[in-house]
Amino acid sequence: MTTHAPAPATLPMTRAAAEKKYPAKMPRHGNASVYRIVVIGLLAIAVLAPVGLILYQSFLSAAFFSPRATFGLDAYRYVFTDKNFYEALATTTIFSFGMVAIAVPLGALVAFLITRTDIKGKRLLEILVLVPMFISSIVLAFGYTVSVGPTGFVSLFIRSLIGFVPWNIYSLPGMILIAGLSHVPHVYLYVSASMRNLPSDLEEAARTTGASIWQVSRDVTLPMVLPSLIFAASLNILLGFETFGIPLVLGDPNGIMVLTTYIYKLTTLFGTPTYQLMAVVAVVLILITLPLVWAQRKLLRNARKYVAMGGKGARVATLKLGGSGQLIALFIIGLWLFVSVLLPIGGIAVRAFVDAWGEGVNLFDQLTLANFDHLLEVPSLVRGIVNTVILSVVGGAVAVGIYLMVGLAGHRNWGASNTLLDYIVLLPRALPGLVIGLAFFWVFLFVPFLTPLRPTLVSIFVAYVVVGLSYGLRLLQGTLLQVAPELEESARTTGATIGRTWRDVVIPIVRPGLAGAWALIMIIFLREYATGVYLMGAGTEVIGSLMVSLLQTGAMNTIAALALISVVLTGAGLALALRLGAKIHD
Amino acid sequence: MNTTTLRSFAAATALLGWASSAAIAQDIPAGYPADYAAVIEAAKKEGTVSIYTSTDAAQSQKLQDGFTAKYGIKIAYNDLGTNGAYNQVISEAAASQVTADVVWSSAMDLQMTLVKEGYAAEYASPEAANIPAWANYQNILYGTTVEPIGVIYNTKALTEDKLPKTYADLITFLKDNKAELQGKVATFDPEKSGSGFLHHSNDARNRSDFWDLAKAMGDDGAKIYSSSGGMKETVVSGENVIAINIIGSYALDWVKESPNLGVHFSSDYTPAFSRLALATKDAPHPNAAKLFIDFMLSKEGQSLLAEGGLPSVREDVTAGLNIKTLNERVGGGLKPIAVDDGVLEYMDQMKRVQFMNDWKAALGR
Repeated sequence: MTTHAPAPATLPMTRAAAEKKYPAKMPRHGNASVYRIVVIGLLAIAVLAPVGLILYQSFLSAAFFSPRATFGLDAYRYVFTDKNFYEALATTTIFSFGMVAIAVPLGALVAFLITRTDIKGKRLLEILVLVPMFISSIVLAFGYTVSVGPTGFVSLFIRSLIGFVPWNIYSLPGMILIAGLSHVPHVYLYVSASMRNLPSDLEEAARTTGASIWQVSRDVTLPMVLPSLIFAASLNILLGFETFGIPLVLGDPNGIMVLTTYIYKLTTLFGTPTYQLMAVVAVVLILITLPLVWAQRKLLRNARKYVAMGGKGARVATLKLGGSGQLIALFIIGLWLFVSVLLPIGGIAVRAFVDAWGEGVNLFDQLTLANFDHLLEVPSLVRGIVNTVILSVVGGAVAVGIYLMVGLAGHRNWGASNTLLDYIVLLPRALPGLVIGLAFFWVFLFVPFLTPLRPTLVSIFVAYVVVGLSYGLRLLQGTLLQVAPELEESARTTGATIGRTWRDVVIPIVRPGLAGAWALIMIIFLREYATGVYLMGAGTEVIGSLMVSLLQTGAMNTIAALALISVVLTGAGLALALRLGAKIHD
Repeated sequence: MNTTTLRSFAAATALLGWASSAAIAQDIPAGYPADYAAVIEAAKKEGTVSIYTSTDAAQSQKLQDGFTAKYGIKIAYNDLGTNGAYNQVISEAAASQVTADVVWSSAMDLQMTLVKEGYAAEYASPEAANIPAWANYQNILYGTTVEPIGVIYNTKALTEDKLPKTYADLITFLKDNKAELQGKVATFDPEKSGSGFLHHSNDARNRSDFWDLAKAMGDDGAKIYSSSGGMKETVVSGENVIAINIIGSYALDWVKESPNLGVHFSSDYTPAFSRLALATKDAPHPNAAKLFIDFMLSKEGQSLLAEGGLPSVREDVTAGLNIKTLNERVGGGLKPIAVDDGVLEYMDQMKRVQFMNDWKAALGR
């Protein structure tokens, strides 16, 4: 990694002017500004190229490469006068907010229990609570239909007990509940990070004056982590707008449509794909994102005023839960994990080993390994598994390197480039993977020097890096922020450039954290599905996109076998994360 | 000594050369033009053929293996789905980066659109004489399979004798059993599935009572799905009792393995679609493309497809089902959808929108 430190002689400003412009944070000299601009600029190109293409496409009357395409607002006119669009928008809004209403309180509670109390089995729970995040929503939805669908094995069991099935997952409330429970880790991740940093003296003070543990959490802890809660809420609203797998599998049969499935429908509705209409919906999703990012930034800026952490890491003492408290806490987390992990994975596992299931079918009569046999007979499916492993393991490692470079560029950075960074990081998060994948397909097809890369895994890798940006960068930024500023400052005062500081101070300190990040990114790449649909071809198949492609013909036996393999791979990744993660604590 | 070795070596080489050219001569199937050897030779030099398709690799694996075993030409098999295949073909052509040699898709309307918009190359296959006339569109687009459209049902909930015999009976059946069938009828969603749209719109073209059927399904609270396999899953599990207008060739295979699943066809009217193949214009491997299309239509290739569960358009194929035995199996009412301009009828946007509106009205959505 090279840094470009301007020589002192090139400083044109007077000392006073420079101090005014760059208040006493770090000396401007050797601040790696060229490096920051180059990295953030490259990232901006990688993100804005597909986004720009989508924007351009939305103003055309046909595919952008078609000679018949003319400039105009026809596509917007169509979408904005389409009754189905407003229905989908309304459903999506209800879905997103409903999801947040479930995920945020539960996520905050889980974060509180794990970071602030002496709950048993903390090490294990820290990893277990992340599991729902790592199952792709398409796998999740399939799993649920087999276990708790109208004729799922759990449903049939309940029916044999009480005479009816008290739930219906093919409904908007059902979808909201499932999505809400599965997004708890997304909230946990952000809220627990900020809870960990809280000094415990305030909580202890409240406890000594006789407040109960729930009063403490409500009146002391909660207000102090409010910014991160709101941050998590707005992020989850975005995720809600982008969700595809759950509405596709659970909403579709009854005609419950959200914006992403509306986009999906636009590929077939008119016979030939109507890219311009898909682009308009994508632009709408971007327009929803921007104010959310703006609000987040404003919030986080204000949040800095309330920083409670001193220069030295405050020792965090944990609150005592007591016997019954332990029991209740573990029960809540256990129940949640049962519903959001065990039920879907159980469903997938059962489906992978049977050919038929449901009412009047004895699952034990149906046990078979045929699904896996068939899978192994088809080279493209086997290749898909191999490619997915390569992409996650090798690609994940390279991605960590890229995210680290971006993270350093944004590390203790301020000014316009950082504003840009905040926006471009969340932009891809707002777009459905299907659309991003399609845009990247075109970028790799039409940009001359990129064309040789299109039939390789590189094209899928680049798309994955961009799609995983918000999560991956957040992970790296979190690790980087753990480096106490004093260490960096002392390096700087002794005359090190910022590049030297990163090389000799920051990176060595965060190195164990990088391994953990690698394992987590690996899992994120494992579970991707929509992004690769348009990018994969012969030789570059990946499990997730193969499942979407197989869904069109409905080869459920193969899909279930692939899904289980992907779950097993994810489990291996998690075990690795646990091992690597454990090192961080030592 | 030295000269003898040399001479015998020369003789051996000559012999080898003769043997290999004889092998090529043997490769030319009966009835093919004499210059076909040149096509094979050129195709082998090209070494690979790239297929863009909507057919799952599992179903065509035998065909692929057979082709590669016969000619030693590798297949780059891209299972992209109907829309994916169409999208990639037009995008690549626009970028002058054509990589597809053969497009093989069940979306008859999209395939015809590719032909009309000039993405296909004309090729008079020597096998054309062996397939029905309706399966050859102007030597440019070929029907490779004949796949009936039918009904699957849960045998625990319905028995064969209760099933409606004719198309008209099906409508009556849905009306008469409204109570038992409420919320338990499945069918394709024409808005989200190209296949579903083809099945429904073909009925609308040929049956004046299609809208009565749609209305009857709507009255039964029919649920709509985007794949045959998805519907099968719900019928086997008992979530739905019957699924209408699904891909019957898949169903004929499913019933062999699945308990409580039955397949049924109307004796007076069983439409059948066909997977259509075309060679692309500016194909990077034009000879391999020709060879592959010929192989797909040949008795050997058709047998391999039929073994994979895709019934053959040739009557002389004995493996699996062929167009004749299939017609017997479905009760004599087989009506293949002809590969002609008719499949484009609903590509007209006004007609299409009207169809969708009528459909939604009939289904009460």
